[in-house]
Amino acid sequence: MRYVKIKGDKIYEFLERLKNYGKLYAPVKISEKFYDRKEIDDVGEIAFDYQRTIMPAKKYFIPPCEEMFEIDMEENEYREKLEEVEPFVIFGMHACEIVALRILDGVYLNEYPDIYYERRRKAGIIIGLSCLPDEYCFCNLRRTDFVDIGFDLFLHELPDGYLARVGSPKGHKIVDENPDIFEEVRQEDIDAFRAFEEKRQEMFKFKGNFDNIRYILELTMQDKLWDEESEKCLGCGNCTMTCPTCRCYDVQDIPEIGGKKGKRIRFWDSCQFRSHGLVAGGHNFRETKRDRFLNRYICKNSYFYPLGTSYCVGCGNCTYFCPANIDFQENLMKIRGREVIHE
Amino acid sequence: MRMKIGIHGLTSCYGCQLKMACIEEILEVAKNFEIVYWNMASSKGEIEKVDIAFVEGSVVTERDEEELKLIRENADALVAVGSCAIHGGVQGMIFGEDYEEIFREVYGDSLIDYEAKIGEPLRKYVEVDYCLPGCPPEEHEILYYLATFGIGSYPEEKDYPVCAECRRQGYPCILIEKGMPCLGPVTVAGCNAKCPGFNVACIGCRGPVPHGTAWFDSLARTFKEKGMSKEYIKRRMEIFGKQYEKLDEMIEKVFENED
Amino acid sequence: MNNMNNMNNVYSLYKCRVLRVYDLTEEEKLFLFRFEDAEIAETWTFTPGQFVQLTITGLGEVPISICSSPMRRGFFELCIKKAGRVTDKIHELQPGDVVGVRGPYGNGFPVQEFEEKDLLLIACGIGMAPLRSVFMYAIDNRWKFGNITVINSAKTGKRLLFRKELEAMRDVAEAENIRIIQTITRDPDWPGRVGRAQEHIKYANTSPENAYVCVCGPPQAYHDIFTKLIENGYNPRNIYVTLERRMKCGVGKCGHCIAGSSTFLKYICIDGPVFGYYDIISTPGLI
Repeated sequence: MRYVKIKGDKIYEFLERLKNYGKLYAPVKISEKFYDRKEIDDVGEIAFDYQRTIMPAKKYFIPPCEEMFEIDMEENEYREKLEEVEPFVIFGMHACEIVALRILDGVYLNEYPDIYYERRRKAGIIIGLSCLPDEYCFCNLRRTDFVDIGFDLFLHELPDGYLARVGSPKGHKIVDENPDIFEEVRQEDIDAFRAFEEKRQEMFKFKGNFDNIRYILELTMQDKLWDEESEKCLGCGNCTMTCPTCRCYDVQDIPEIGGKKGKRIRFWDSCQFRSHGLVAGGHNFRETKRDRFLNRYICKNSYFYPLGTSYCVGCGNCTYFCPANIDFQENLMKIRGREVIHE
Repeated sequence: MRMKIGIHGLTSCYGCQLKMACIEEILEVAKNFEIVYWNMASSKGEIEKVDIAFVEGSVVTERDEEELKLIRENADALVAVGSCAIHGGVQGMIFGEDYEEIFREVYGDSLIDYEAKIGEPLRKYVEVDYCLPGCPPEEHEILYYLATFGIGSYPEEKDYPVCAECRRQGYPCILIEKGMPCLGPVTVAGCNAKCPGFNVACIGCRGPVPHGTAWFDSLARTFKEKGMSKEYIKRRMEIFGKQYEKLDEMIEKVFENED
Repeated sequence: MNNMNNMNNVYSLYKCRVLRVYDLTEEEKLFLFRFEDAEIAETWTFTPGQFVQLTITGLGEVPISICSSPMRRGFFELCIKKAGRVTDKIHELQPGDVVGVRGPYGNGFPVQEFEEKDLLLIACGIGMAPLRSVFMYAIDNRWKFGNITVINSAKTGKRLLFRKELEAMRDVAEAENIRIIQTITRDPDWPGRVGRAQEHIKYANTSPENAYVCVCGPPQAYHDIFTKLIENGYNPRNIYVTLERRMKCGVGKCGHCIAGSSTFLKYICIDGPVFGYYDIISTPGLI
C-alpha cells in the first residue's frame, strides 16, 4: 500500500483542493449535540472530531426520497429520471461507515445493479478519517474498526498531521496531482500511527468479537429480554433510518390531478413499521412490535456473505439515536450471557 | 364524466376546508372534479349524490349527526378529513370527563337550542372509507387523495410516525437532544416533520399512528425518564389523542408503581 | 417497450397487452398477456415458480407468480386474486388494456432436476397459481417425467382454482398417468373428495422414494403437509415450497421480503421464492 503524509498546516489546503474533484461533503455540527454531512463552502466549518452523523453517508447514494420515473399515464409509460450526477467527495468517513458502504454495494450492485445507486457511487470519492471510539462504538466486536478497501484515501490522525493510506487509482491521482500537499512518511509517523491504533483498541467498551452472536441470537429468540426491550420501543424507526447499512425502501406511485401524469418515487422505509411485513390479503409476517423489534436484531446480526461480515458494522448509531435509550450493544452482550452493570 | 365530490364541515375550525380552498392547484381540481357541495365556498348546492364526500369536523350537535348521516347516504365513499373527523379533535378532549360539569362551565344558564354532544370521530356514527389526516391536512396529501380517486382507485394511507420523515429530512432529534416533549413517535407522518424542523416539539396534531401502533406507553416512559410529570404527559398526549383506545391505561401502566 | 429508458435500468417496465380475461372464482381471474414488443414477446422466458412485477399505471406495482408454461412462447398467464389497491384495479382490466411488466425474478422450481422422476404437486387455495406453471410445464414435456399427481384444495368448491380446467382433463389425464385430486375442506354441498390436501397424499400415483414434491399454500398449512409427506415416505430432500412476500423491487434491494433468522437471512425475491424443505425447517421466520 502507498502511504503519504499530510502535515497539519496543510490539511485545510488539502480540503480546498478536494473541491477540484467535486462537490465537497463533510461533517459539520448542526445542533447542540448532533453532526451531519453538508456541502462545504468554508472548510473551516468541518468537524474533525465528530463521532457520528444523524444521517449516514448512504444518503448520498440512496437519497431519503427520490423520483425514479416520470409517469405518462396516457401512454402507459414510465420514463426514468436519471439526472446528471456531478462528481463529489465525501470527506471524513469512519472505517465502519466505509464497510457499511461496501455492504450497500453488495446489495445494490448485485446481479441486478441499481442504476441510480451505481451512477452516484461511481461519481463519489471517499476520504476516510480515523477515529477513537466512544461508549456506543463496538466496531471492534464486528471486526470493522479498521478498513482495508472501499476508500480512495484514508487519513489517520498523527500528532502533527495525517498519515494517508492510498486505496484506489482515484486516490493515487489526488496524491500525484498535489505534490505540494503530501510528503514522505517518516519513522516517527509510523510510531505515532502504531500508538494511535493501540490506544484505539484500549478504548473499546467491550473486548472480543461478535462472531458467534448470530447463533446465540437464533437460540434465544424466545428470551424474555426481547419482550422487555420491545416493550420500551417507540416503533419510531430512528434506529433503521440512522443505520448506515439499513437500506429498505418503499415505492409509491403518485398520480397528478387530471390523471395524465405522475411520478414513481422511492423513499427510506423501516422494518419497524407495521406495513413492512404485510402481504396481499392482510397477513403480516411481523405482526407484533416484538416481531418487528427482533427482526432488526436478526437482520443486523445475520451474515453478509460477499463481505464475510454481519450487516451491522458496530457504529452505535441505533443506540445513540434511540429516543427510548434501548442499547443494541448491551442487549447483544446480555443474550451472550454477559452481565452488564451500569454505574 | 367528471367525478362528483362534496366538501362538508361539521363542528370544527373549518381549517381543513380553508386548506382545501387554498391549494395552489385548486383550478385543476375544479376542472377535473365537479364540486357539487362546498358550504364554505358557495352558498349554492344541496346534499346530493356524490362519488366522494370529504367531511371535516366532529359530531358535536344533533344537527351534525343528522347531516353526517345524510352525507353518508348520498356518498359512494366518505373521507374523514383532519383530526376532528378522524379522532375527535381538540374538542374531543372532554371525552371521558364529567360532561355535566363541563357543559355548565361552558354554557352556564344560557339557553341553547340543541343538545351538545361529546365531540367524537365520524366512525362512531357512520362508516368511514378513508382518512386524510392533518390539522389541517397537507396540500400534497389532499392532491394525492384526489388524484387517486380521480383515476378510479384510492390512496395508500400512511401508517408510520413523524420520526421517519424527521430523519429523512435530516433534522436533529429534539426529543433526544433537548429532552423536548415531542410526540413525533406516536403521530402519523405526512407533514414532513414541519414542527421538529423548526425546533418545535410535535404536539401530535395529525393524530395517533393508525392500526394500534401508536405506543403512548413507551413514549410516556421516555418522557418520565426525562423528568416530566404524569399530569403533564397525560395532558399533552390528550390534546389530540384523548380518544385513542387505551390511552389512559397506557399512561397509567408507566406510572403504576409510583405512588 | 420503453425505448427512452436506459437498457440497464432493472426497474424499467415493458408494456404488455391483456389478450384475454377469464373468471376463475369470485376472487380470482386469469389474465393472458403478450409483450407489446414482438422481439421481447418471442424471446422472453422464465422458469416455473418465478414471478413478475406488474404495474398498473399510476397506481403501483405488485409481485405475481406466473402460472402458465414457459413452453408457450409469446404469451404468459397470471392468476390474480383481488386483494388490495392494485389488484382491485387489475380485476377491472379488459382485453386490449396495457400494463407494465418487468421480470421474471426469483429462483423457480428446479424443474430440470425433476426430470425422469415422479412429480407431486400440493396446492392450497391460491397456491395453485405457481404450481399450475410447473404442472403445465410437465404436461408440455410429458415424456420427461414419471407419474404426476396434483392435489388441488380449497375451502369451498366455488373457490377451487382452475377447477374447470382440471376437471375437464381429469379422465384423459388418468390415462396418461396424471392424477388430479380436488379436495374441499368446508363445503357441505361438495360432491367430491373432502378434507385437507395432506389427507390425500396417500392417493397420489407417485412413488414416494422416486418423487419430487412442490408445495404452495398459506404459511400455517406447511407443517402438517410436511409431516404427512414424510409419514408417507417422501424424501424431505425432494420437497420444495414457494413462499409469498410483498416485494417492492423484486431484485434484492428494497428489503420488504427479507425473511429468515440471523443464521439464514434471505431475500425471498432473489434467494427464493422457492426453498427446499431443510431451509424451511432450519429457519424460523421463513414461513
